[in-house]
This record gives sequence, C-alpha cells and structure tokens, in this order.
Amino acid sequence: MSAFREGGRFPDASTVGIAATLVALPFVLPSVTLASEVLVFSVAALSCAFLLGMVGLLSFGQGLFFGIGAYVSAVLLKDHGLATLPAVAIAAGASAIGAGLIALLAVRRHGVYFVMLTLAFAQMGYFAMLALNHVTGGENGLTGVPRPPLLAGMGALSGSEAIYAFLAVLAFAAYLLVQRVGASPFGSVLRAIRQNEPRAEALGYDVRRFKVAAFALAGLLAGLAGAMHTVFLGFAPPNVIELEMSERLLIMAIIGGAGAPGAAFVGAGFYVVMADWLSTLWPRWLMLIGFLLIAIVLFLRDGLWGGAAAALHRLRGRGHG
Amino acid sequence: MMRRRTLFGASAGMLAVPSLARAQGGQLQVAGVYSLSGTFANVGDLLNKGTQWAFEHYGNAAGQRINYTLLDDQGDPGRAVRRVQEAMGQGVKHIVGCTTSAIALAVAKEVHARGGVYIHMAGADEATGSECNRASFRWPGASFTAINATVRPFIERNANAKRWYTITGQYVFGESLLTNLKSVLQDAGHQHIGNSYHSLSEREYSGYITAAISARPDVLAICNFGNQTLDVLRQAVSFGMKRNVKIVVPWSTGLDQFQAWGPDICEGVYFGVNYWHGVEAPGNRVVQQVVRQKTNGTTNYLQACGWAVAQMLVEGANKAGSTEIPALIRALEGLSYEGPTGTELIRAEDHQVIKDYYLMLGKARSAMRDPADFAEVVAGTKAFQPPERTGCRMT
Repeated sequence: MSAFREGGRFPDASTVGIAATLVALPFVLPSVTLASEVLVFSVAALSCAFLLGMVGLLSFGQGLFFGIGAYVSAVLLKDHGLATLPAVAIAAGASAIGAGLIALLAVRRHGVYFVMLTLAFAQMGYFAMLALNHVTGGENGLTGVPRPPLLAGMGALSGSEAIYAFLAVLAFAAYLLVQRVGASPFGSVLRAIRQNEPRAEALGYDVRRFKVAAFALAGLLAGLAGAMHTVFLGFAPPNVIELEMSERLLIMAIIGGAGAPGAAFVGAGFYVVMADWLSTLWPRWLMLIGFLLIAIVLFLRDGLWGGAAAALHRLRGRGHG
Repeated sequence: MMRRRTLFGASAGMLAVPSLARAQGGQLQVAGVYSLSGTFANVGDLLNKGTQWAFEHYGNAAGQRINYTLLDDQGDPGRAVRRVQEAMGQGVKHIVGCTTSAIALAVAKEVHARGGVYIHMAGADEATGSECNRASFRWPGASFTAINATVRPFIERNANAKRWYTITGQYVFGESLLTNLKSVLQDAGHQHIGNSYHSLSEREYSGYITAAISARPDVLAICNFGNQTLDVLRQAVSFGMKRNVKIVVPWSTGLDQFQAWGPDICEGVYFGVNYWHGVEAPGNRVVQQVVRQKTNGTTNYLQACGWAVAQMLVEGANKAGSTEIPALIRALEGLSYEGPTGTELIRAEDHQVIKDYYLMLGKARSAMRDPADFAEVVAGTKAFQPPERTGCRMT
C-alpha cells in the first residue's frame, strides 16, 4: 500500500487497483457522466490529500486553484482555439504558478494562520472572478466551451465514453505522479517536515522552499482537475471558484482519509455518488454528509481508506492466527 | 440478516438503476432542472411544484401522456449540466426550468447541442440576447423589462420626483438594472444623483442608506433581487426614508416577498413584478384554481413561473400536433396563448415571451381585502427590447 505517511514503493498493488477501478467505474456506476464527475473530484481531492497527508498543510485554497484551472482552460479552448491537451496542460501549469506565488506568502505562517491565509486567498479569487466578468462571465460562468481534438490533427473529443477515457488517463497520470513523489527523496523530506519541522530545518533542508514546491504541486493537481471539469462539462460554472468548492474538496479528502493517494479517489467517489443518491431521498442531504464527517473524524480518523486498510489488516492477522 | 441483505440489495439497486426511465412509446418524457437541495432548495421546490402541477393539469401534449421527471441539480450549475447530459443520453429531449441564470445558460447550450428544446425562467439578459439559441425559450421579462415597465409608469405618475438615488448589488444583474435605469432617467430628463454599490455578501446597509439620505433624493431605487432586497428595503424604512422619499423596487418576486416584509413596510412602496395573482386573466384563473386545490393558498411568482414554462411546452406541442423538436420549435415561435399574465406571445426573433410586467403600489394594512392583498396593480406594461437590440443571433 502506497502511503503518504510512511512512504512506499512505486508502483505497487494500489497502482494496479486504481487502474482497474478506472476501467470498471463506468460499468459499475449508473452513468458514464457520473463516473466522469468522480474522476474530476478524485484528482481535486488528491490535491488536498497530498498537502494534508504528506506535508501536514490544511489548505482552504484548493478551490481557488481548481477554479483557475477551470477558467484558464475554458478561455484557451473558447477564445484561443487551442487543442484540448495543450489547454489542459497550460491551465494546470497556470494553477501551479498561482499556487507557488501564494505559497511564498502563506508558508511564512503556521497552523491556523496558514489556514486563514489560504481561506483569504480563496475568497479573493472568487471576487476576482466577479470583477473580471468580461473574461470569466461573472455569475453566469463561461458557457459554450468547445471540445476540440486532443491535439491538432486528431479527431474531435466527442461522446461521453471518449471524454471519460481521456479523463481516466489524466486521473491515472495524476495518481502516478503523486505516488512517484511519495516514493522519492523529495517525498521523504516532505514527510520529515510534517513529522518534525524544526528538526528537518536543523538537518539543513530549506523547509520553506520544500513547502512552496509541495503547494505548487498541489495547485497543479487542483488546476488539472479544474481543467478536466471544463472539458467534461463544456462549461466553467462560477461555483468552481467559490469557497464552498474548497470546503467540498477538503471534505472529500477527509472522508477518504489523507493517508494515501488512493484514499482521495475513495473519498471523492463516495461523496459524489452519495450526493447523487442522497439528494433523491432528502433535500437536506448535506446534513447527512455532515453527520458522516463527524463520525469519520471521531471514529475513523484515517477515513474510509484507513478504516478499510485496518479491517484488512485485522482479517489477515486472524487468518495467520 | 435477511433484512440487512434486502436493504443492501435495494440500495444497490437504486444506485445501479438509471434515474430516468427510457422513453416509452406514446409518452412524452419531460425533465425539469431544479435545485431541490442545496442553497436554492426553497426556490427550486416552489418552481418544481408549479411545473409538476401544470403537467398534472394538462396530462397530455400533442396526444402523448406527459411523464415528468425532476433532475435535482443541487444548486450546482456543473451538476445541472451533468444531469441533463445523462437525461438526454437516455433519450429525453424536452427540458424545462432552472433555479439560477448560470444553470439556465449552461443547460441551454447543452440542450441545443444535443438537439432538444429548453424552456426556462432565467433572469439574465443574455438568455434571449447574446447567448440565445434556436432551442431555448424564456418566460419572464429580464432587467430591461423590469426597469422600463416600472420606472416609466412611475415617472408618469410622479413627474416631480426627479432626483434619483440607487443602492445596487455589485454583480451582473444589479449592474444591468442600474444601466437600464440610468438610460430611462436620461430619456425622461431626470437626474441620477448618486449610487451606492454593495457586495453580494453584505447584510447590513445602514452606511449606504445614510449616504442616500444625505444626498436628499426624491426617489430611492433598489437595484437587486432576493434576500438582499428584503434587507435593504427593511432598513431603509426603519431609517424613516418613506416619510419624504419614494421608494421603487424594480425587481421583486411579489407575494412571497410582500409576506416577508408585511404591509407596514410595503405600504406606499412601488414594486416591479413579473406575476401577480390578482390579475384578471383566463390563464391566471386556471393557475389560481389548481394552486388553491393543491395548497389552499394563493399562487406566488415561483409557482406561476414553474407553471408557465410547462404550459408553454404543452401549448407548443398541441399547436404543432407533434412533440418532434423541429416541429415544436417552429410552433413555439410566434405562438400566442392565454398564460398566467393574460395573452402571452413568444417572439420568434429571440424566443422571449412578450407579457405584462407590473408596477405595484403597496397598500396600507387597513386597505387589504384579504391576507394576500398587499398591493394594487398601478400599470401592466409589455416593455421589451426590440429584437434587433437584444444582441440575439439565432443559431
């Protein structure tokens, strides 16, 4: 199992498990579009889980980078006629740069002050979107975003299945990237910072620089998810950059558990599918999600992924006994 | 154990079965896009009920039994688009409703691209302007209508009230109301002496109201909608502005807002509304009757709006004698019918419904004939941009 907290091998059994899940998802869920939504939010939640699980940084700003990715890709596809893949890559890169710049300020503070700074930037992002309504479409969002070929000369990206396949490749690439980082020396330093920051500094590591790099990488993931969202919907809605989006991504990461990259996929999948189902049963379904979050924080601190891993471990122990 | 298995089986089944049944022969599958959960659940619920009751009332369209399904977008435009993609993938081609303009504009593009028809109640000017398309139709009047149908008749009746001050929500709709208002005032030779912007997150407006009082206007206009309008008017009245300033609220949802304000606040205030239950019209009588049967209450704007979009679909299909999309769109263009505000006409050029928008004057508590009789209709005007000025290029 590839864990943020203890490090792990790359690739490992979870890599195969995630690949198999991505293939099976559209056949298991009621619709391909629901499966696509799961993928988008899995990558976004991965961004939160990476920061929280690997570096110990609780960010309320991931919705901002998700929004940057969504809007930059929408503008590139709609107004500049770029092919899908370059637009997605540039959007993710723009989010990474934005995250890096914000991190230069934010990582100067720790704990609740860091959280407040990310919250403040997320709020500013929303109002910037409203102020730049000639670019972003304001409260109406950016509609009519085309889905051009992946690269110039290729066939157009059309049909729910083709879009799902494209998103699945991107989601898997994001998973591999995070897993690879987790297994690298860079990942070891990030873990050291989370476990004991003064000691990591005393060992000669430039802690601030490592945190900025980690935050930028998380921004890249969130931006990639935002761009995937735009490609999926053909639309950049205004709520992609609202504060509520940051909260939603964090809730997904906590439900899954921030201990491993796969946990983000579990958390996002659980949230999206439950929201889809519960909303048909009770209009105040968000209350149920609230209860669930409380239960997970109190009784399952490593989230669904951690809970499942612990249960598996106990079963194996019994088997050996 | 058996019970647990059964429950699990049922739950898994609900997850696995698509939320919409596939289109069946002789049935017209219609989907409504409303927010029944999330931030706009209270609005979406009333809109959805209006639509549902209308379809129940009509029963058939072009001889086909109507099968109405709700798509809960949870107040999220992205989810709305996804649910529409899903429904249309299952063969649904007839979509109605929206809770916000962002949802309507996005759904309109999706439905158009997938060869369906979409009838909605978005407030954004773009819906029948720069973002119009062949598949989308809009029932209510938007910001141009709201200002022209309230401010012009107000000026005719209050020619001496020349100095206007505005308090505006700083976002697209508020800006749009303000721009149209300035243009009407300029036409009429009246003065716009000042404006205070406030953000969408504000709840306390005393600073803006004292700024308005110190400017000594004859008229205060509140350019906004929803709960913020409720709060701005409440606070303006509590600051005593009604004593020597006339107050105009060009965009109000009518009855539900009047009930929230109460007659002491509404008295003497001018409001603009898209629908009023007291209007004598055959179409309105039908709506009133059905809503009274269902709720034992008076029809409000949201219920009427939900009703209106459903009625348009049925009237269009009946005229076309078919639910096929090209025939239905052709039938809807130029269609005239008895709607909730009287005789309504769907303008072919931009797919905007041409209907009355009302200027209302709040009544004193002692003058109310029944608990819903908050205001009298001062004027009903069909004030719409000429098609060539809407910016609509039909695609």
